[in-house]
Amino acid sequence: MKIKALVAALTASAVLTLGLAQAKMKTQSPAELNDLEIAHVAYVADSIDIRYAHLALALSENPAVHEFAETMIRDHTAVNDQALALLKKLGAQPRDNFLSQSLQQNAKTLIDEMSDLRGTAFDKRYAENELAYHIAVNDLVDNSFLPNIENAEVHALFTAGSKIFHAHEKHAAMMVKQLK
Amino acid sequence: MTAGFTRRAFLSKTVVAIAVTVLSSRFLTYTEDARAAGDTHVIDIKAFKFVPDTLKVRVGDTITWTNHDIVPHTATADDKSWDTGTLKRNERASLTVTAGMAPRYYCRFHPQMRAQIEIVGGD
Repeated sequence: MKIKALVAALTASAVLTLGLAQAKMKTQSPAELNDLEIAHVAYVADSIDIRYAHLALALSENPAVHEFAETMIRDHTAVNDQALALLKKLGAQPRDNFLSQSLQQNAKTLIDEMSDLRGTAFDKRYAENELAYHIAVNDLVDNSFLPNIENAEVHALFTAGSKIFHAHEKHAAMMVKQLK
Repeated sequence: MTAGFTRRAFLSKTVVAIAVTVLSSRFLTYTEDARAAGDTHVIDIKAFKFVPDTLKVRVGDTITWTNHDIVPHTATADDKSWDTGTLKRNERASLTVTAGMAPRYYCRFHPQMRAQIEIVGGD
């Protein structure tokens, strides 16, 4: 199962890496995004995980999967609410960018794939993707976003967000193990 | 004269001593009443941790959990016998410690968050 989780993590990393590779061809890098673009990526990443969670609530019958999905909706909604409140306070608007678009495209593909699964097959795919997704997002936040965010309040929000997403990663790892 | 002074001094010392004793006993009574009513302990929830994660309490004490995180949390007994309910950011909830209260607890939303209380005394 560890191998499966690792494969899933690598797949998600590959999806993000593919997005990054495509971006690099256009000389684009996450490290070059400004604060408003980073805020947009974070909002999109939160929203994608909320969409995965709603899919899980619709298709899964496993109580552990439901509990996890409800937590994802609750937590990512709270983070997005905080982000929007901060942007409003700063009088700024999040700015769409290559990475947000890449994430949305990849999510659409994955949702199409997961929508065809049922029962244990769906539960395992959802759990493995959640683990992989949070590993990839944590890597992005810790290594590309946090070192480059300029605004102190935005940085503080992402620091708090990072702790939340790392907790989600641990929770997802527990769920993957539970579904073995 | 000297004897009268000494008697008055003795009397006044006695009055003071009695007053001090009465006040002290009242203070002690008040303190014991406060002790009987229980102490209040604060547990902060921040960065996905209960701080402190181990707390010594007595039956009758009050524990207050305050959530400082952006996301909601709970403090829920492992056996589900007690629960603070959902605590959103900056919300708090209190529970009174009872005999036999389940000591280990966690956050229902984030099961990797764990802590415990240790009930001491009273036996």
